[in-house]
Amino acid sequence: MSDYKKPLPQIQPFTKAFWEGTKERKLLIQTCGDCGAQIFFPRRQCPKCWSSNLGWKQASGRGKVFAFSVTYEGVEAAFREDLPIVLAWVDLEEGIRMQTNLVDCEPEDVAIGQDVEVVYTDVTDEITLPYFRPVGD
Amino acid sequence: MSIAIIGVAEVPTSRDPDRNRWDILQDVCMGAVRDAGIDKNDINAVISVNPMAQPQLSLDMALGRVPEVLGMEGCKDICVVNAGGTSTTNALRLAKYFIESGSARFVLVPHTTIQSDIPTEDLINFFATAPLDMQWEYPYGVTFNGAMGLLTNRYMYETGATAEQMASVTVSLRAWGALDPMSIFHGKPVTLDDVLNSRMISTPLHAKECNFLADGGGALVVTSAEVAQEMGKPAAYELGHAMRLLGATPVLRSDIFSRESYRESSKDALAQAGLQIQDMDLRQIYGAYPFTQCSALEGYGVCEIGEAAGIWAEGRCGPGGDLPCTTMGDATGRGHTGSGVSMAFYIDTVRQVRGDAGARQVPGCEHAIVTTAGGSIMNACTTVFGRQPR
Repeated sequence: MSDYKKPLPQIQPFTKAFWEGTKERKLLIQTCGDCGAQIFFPRRQCPKCWSSNLGWKQASGRGKVFAFSVTYEGVEAAFREDLPIVLAWVDLEEGIRMQTNLVDCEPEDVAIGQDVEVVYTDVTDEITLPYFRPVGD
Repeated sequence: MSIAIIGVAEVPTSRDPDRNRWDILQDVCMGAVRDAGIDKNDINAVISVNPMAQPQLSLDMALGRVPEVLGMEGCKDICVVNAGGTSTTNALRLAKYFIESGSARFVLVPHTTIQSDIPTEDLINFFATAPLDMQWEYPYGVTFNGAMGLLTNRYMYETGATAEQMASVTVSLRAWGALDPMSIFHGKPVTLDDVLNSRMISTPLHAKECNFLADGGGALVVTSAEVAQEMGKPAAYELGHAMRLLGATPVLRSDIFSRESYRESSKDALAQAGLQIQDMDLRQIYGAYPFTQCSALEGYGVCEIGEAAGIWAEGRCGPGGDLPCTTMGDATGRGHTGSGVSMAFYIDTVRQVRGDAGARQVPGCEHAIVTTAGGSIMNACTTVFGRQPR
């Protein structure tokens, strides 16, 4: 796993819990203890009310494809062996929209509105990326 | 008090690494001053457009090199402004301050970008990392084209626009570019099949619907509307200007197609001008990707949501059409010169309003509306220009 050449997320102190969560197979959404906002991506302060009283709740890991794009070229060298890459915006059941990749599927089978679920990939010992895959009918 | 652009100059967009940054910069500065019919020492401020991916030139511009090299003895101060593709827009805003405060009678706004001497791998990296989030987008292989592919995919889903209709946008933009000696595609129109048969980059975007990185440069001379009138030269008068911010990260935005931002910014700018969208003879939309040419028409209120791609497909926005749009060609019809695309948009608008746009001239172009955007379409900055002052 140490030969992973692609860019790793640049983790901030206040996003550490998110990435520890994915390592433990949990998709965490940051929440504001004062105004109740759901916050994505995680911030140092709540963007709605500037509170620092922030916590986490676990998402179901299920969602729907809002938009997708299959990339065939124009990526950096480290991504080239993965082409084509299915980029997707996934709407989680909880109302959060995430950038991710769709995996375990043929690009031509992907559709807007498709039901997907999170799948965790340990890309290094430290980092687990949350990808999504279509849920069988 | 409002401002007017009375001088413009640019070099043809091309890929020519032998033409160095300062060659272009000096040529466009001198060209715009001469076009304005003033002396170099009449320039009281130089507000430079930040050249993206050109760190040394950016520093040179920020620290006073331009008026020194060109011997602008009347220059009182300098600055470089950076808001990505809306840098030129912000340079004009700052120019307005210099002019309104009485500090400047004439302001020079130059830009130069050379991308052809930067290795392709570095350019991919720059355009992948500059506008994207390093934690939430970059690790998934998102590129600029990928992000715009996602938006275009959703735009087509929501509006029912077909691949052929979307490709027709590029056909019209390239038709304008083919008529423009300043376009890298001068004399090179494309057909619908050329677009649809070009390589797939990030679905649904084909290679010809993506940006072609190029070198270019341009400059504007700005003065007050009063001085422009006294000089009696053809000029583009700013009649209204307004803006909206969508947000830095595409996936987090609510106004994903910029449509509401086009609507609100154009409404405000037109109200300042005392005009309606129907009064506009030309619509210039800098979105860099074809779907924005459609969502802008919907946002401006030129048509209903979902109708715009069909209007483009009918050829109404291209040469000879009844709704001419984006005679500058946008990045896909002109070549992408980094932050210089918006510079080229303003220069083309000045030419149209002055009536010297050559083969692209929109007949009777009294009024034009221009919207620029920066980053990954983070904002919509809309200006109404007219042949006559307010």
